[in-house]
Amino acid sequence: MYSIDKSNKRSLSSYTYEVKRHQGKKSYPHVLNFYSISPTEEITIDEFESFAFDRMQVLKALEGAILRNKEEEEIKKHIENVSNTWLPLHSNESDKGYSLQEERRKDHISHFILRLVYSRTENLRAWFLKYECALFKLRFSRENKDEKLSFLKDENITWKNLSKAERESMANELRWSSNFDEETFFEIDFEKVPDLVARRAVYLKKGKAYVPMTDLLSLVMYEFRQRLSKALDLASKSFITSRNERIMPMLNEIIKQYDGRTQTSNYSVGDDPTSDSVHQLVEHFPLCMQHLYQNLRENLHLKHFARIQFNLFLKGIGLTVDEALAFWKKSFSNIDDAKFQKDYAYNIRHNYGAEGKRQDYKPLNCMSIITKQRPNSGQIHGCPFREFSQSNLRSKLVQMGVRNEEHIREILSLTEREHYQVACTKYFEITKGLLDDNDENIIETIEHPNEYLKASISLKKNRMKMNNKDDK
Amino acid sequence: MDIDEPQVNKPQRIENEGDSVELLRVFYQRLFPFKIYCYWLNYGIDVGKLFQNREFNFVNNNDAYIRYLSFDTIEEFKNEVLRVYPKKIDIGAVFSAKPKEKKSLKLSALKPVEKELLFDIDMNDYDEFRTCCSGAVICEKCWQLITVAIKILDAALREDFGFKHLLWVYSGRRGVHCWVCDERARNLSDDERKSIASYLGVIKGGAQKNKKVYLPKHHQLHPSLSRAFNIIEEYFEQVILRDQEVLKDEQEWSKVLDCIPDIDVRQRLNDNWRKNPCRHSIQKWDDLINALGNQKKGDIVKKEIMFQYLYPRLDEAVSTKMIHLLKSPFCVHPSTGQVCVPIIPEECENFNPMRVPTIYSLYNEIDDYNKNNVNKDRERNLHDVPKTIY
Repeated sequence: MYSIDKSNKRSLSSYTYEVKRHQGKKSYPHVLNFYSISPTEEITIDEFESFAFDRMQVLKALEGAILRNKEEEEIKKHIENVSNTWLPLHSNESDKGYSLQEERRKDHISHFILRLVYSRTENLRAWFLKYECALFKLRFSRENKDEKLSFLKDENITWKNLSKAERESMANELRWSSNFDEETFFEIDFEKVPDLVARRAVYLKKGKAYVPMTDLLSLVMYEFRQRLSKALDLASKSFITSRNERIMPMLNEIIKQYDGRTQTSNYSVGDDPTSDSVHQLVEHFPLCMQHLYQNLRENLHLKHFARIQFNLFLKGIGLTVDEALAFWKKSFSNIDDAKFQKDYAYNIRHNYGAEGKRQDYKPLNCMSIITKQRPNSGQIHGCPFREFSQSNLRSKLVQMGVRNEEHIREILSLTEREHYQVACTKYFEITKGLLDDNDENIIETIEHPNEYLKASISLKKNRMKMNNKDDK
Repeated sequence: MDIDEPQVNKPQRIENEGDSVELLRVFYQRLFPFKIYCYWLNYGIDVGKLFQNREFNFVNNNDAYIRYLSFDTIEEFKNEVLRVYPKKIDIGAVFSAKPKEKKSLKLSALKPVEKELLFDIDMNDYDEFRTCCSGAVICEKCWQLITVAIKILDAALREDFGFKHLLWVYSGRRGVHCWVCDERARNLSDDERKSIASYLGVIKGGAQKNKKVYLPKHHQLHPSLSRAFNIIEEYFEQVILRDQEVLKDEQEWSKVLDCIPDIDVRQRLNDNWRKNPCRHSIQKWDDLINALGNQKKGDIVKKEIMFQYLYPRLDEAVSTKMIHLLKSPFCVHPSTGQVCVPIIPEECENFNPMRVPTIYSLYNEIDDYNKNNVNKDRERNLHDVPKTIY
């Protein structure tokens, strides 16, 4: 595959990395690493490939776990297992049996190889940043307090400590949540702790956040993310200038091999659906789309985000932009043509990439529908399993034909525990009668409304085939 | 100058197309504050990138959107406005290059780099319980909802985030915008904006969730919320119970009762009020407080209801996306003809949206003034702005 002799040792630094050496006997005193210093030693091509592959397994596993909306504890356990297989990394206090330095060296080098691989486009950089941060977060929270502090000290990361007088002067406000008497507080610009600000979990005064020791993780994550984000930008620039014939094909290969999965699947249902034939598919719509559809029929209108959610769903079914325009025009029967063209047509065409920056928007998956653009008062979009109150969801379920009290309670309890997609899957199984049918497999968790639709259609087709066979 | 209401008929809507172009012409030629407007957006007198790379968006008289406009000088901006007479001007972000050169630039060369932090409060979001009016209609009663929202948000932005340069503007129909112009605010990334919007967002949930506020059960209110609560407490009785009478009849009070998790309490109050539907909202609110009891749990529910009715309802998309376009201050609302005038937050209680000048009233005021003063030579050179009464 490559024109490089595999036994030939190559130094990474001669391609892209700045030369700096780890000094002293203990190169890696801590299990944690901010990856501010690039590795400079020579490694074999074999190592290059296998290190990259192994780290990728861990990041991909992390992506899968997060996308599946697993509990934090569950993710921790899962990633611990995956890491032990591919990229073990033990703490200082663990058994002496592990070769800690060797593990950390692999962690260090593999990070830098993938950093290079993933520095090429904005999307790849964003992906890598997200899951490296998630990985670091897991590892950081695993360590004990002393280890954390000594690591931060060595990395030269410090924040302004609140003096006793300052502490007393805002004692009332600081006391609102934390154990004031035992806490050390740091004073820091609010921009540096976005997650604490977003959760209203920190006291703010005149642009400063007062962060208790217990929320150290937020501060550390901000530093980690900032540094890695900058480093990735730098890497992307040097990547362009230092195109290297030897290393390029290898990097290409790594991306190709492990990134195929992120390609979007095709949800189109075939038969070139039209603005009219859509109505025949309604029985296959997931609850979110049923809800939007019913609202559209009743009010002859949908608001902005509901329109986007539904329009992209139609696009996923396979409606062309013209058919989609026709569908909306007919559905908004109260709105005259001039107003429709002025206020709505642009956005519909925009979703199809026919306007503006011509981005071809993908149908929204469950994660986006659940987490992004939550509905405000008066808005009806989003995931019904999340956005409906228990009583409204109950009546909706009954309306949709879920009559068994046990089934209803099961779905309600899943939504209460925030397992919205599992609830949706259960809804599918119940309404399609999969639960009583032993010979049909229970489906995988629904992750996309168009996937729901497709599953529903193919289930119907299969059953029809079966019936036809039986008839004959 | 005459301070009384002028004796002219003031239509709320502009009657026909021909009129509106003429009115806009007078408005832009004689009244629009080009100079201070541009100095503001330029954040200084010497025109630089902040102004030149700023995206503008005009809506012309055929209702067509003209996007990605930008101007190299104040003159150029003025000339274009006086050529198009836009029905509406939107302001976007400052980009890394000139938006008007978009077509010749690579997509990656045109990135948003800064933008005021924006907040949009719209009466629309209060429609689920507003009893005095609905839709685009507002009155002095429901305007109080916006007044309370301004007070709470203004305090939070200043005291929590330390912002100082807040421009509050009437949106021209049924809401207000806030432009936070501090340099620190302008430089916030989208993610940082998101965290601020989330910090300030207490009311969560769409049309399918009646209870929209959940406060923490196990510790005290966050200092920002307890400051907000003090403001809410001050206005709740007058605005919610007296003006809106949210407990007046069953259709209204059931929305309040939906916020109480305890079914027994809910049922008891409902039965009681059905028997005595004529009790005033204030008395019914006392019933509710008594029914909730004076334990901590009941206190939280009470606060949740009060927050749900009076805490600001923010349009998140406006605040979180740097590239979001927002109607410019000082322009005219296309459907009411009202000018988007600034509001002084310290005096927001005295602001009356019904008295905001329309381009029609301004036109007449200038006209009257000129007629009445036709013989006074020394007034000849008076600028047009002092001839109006607002």
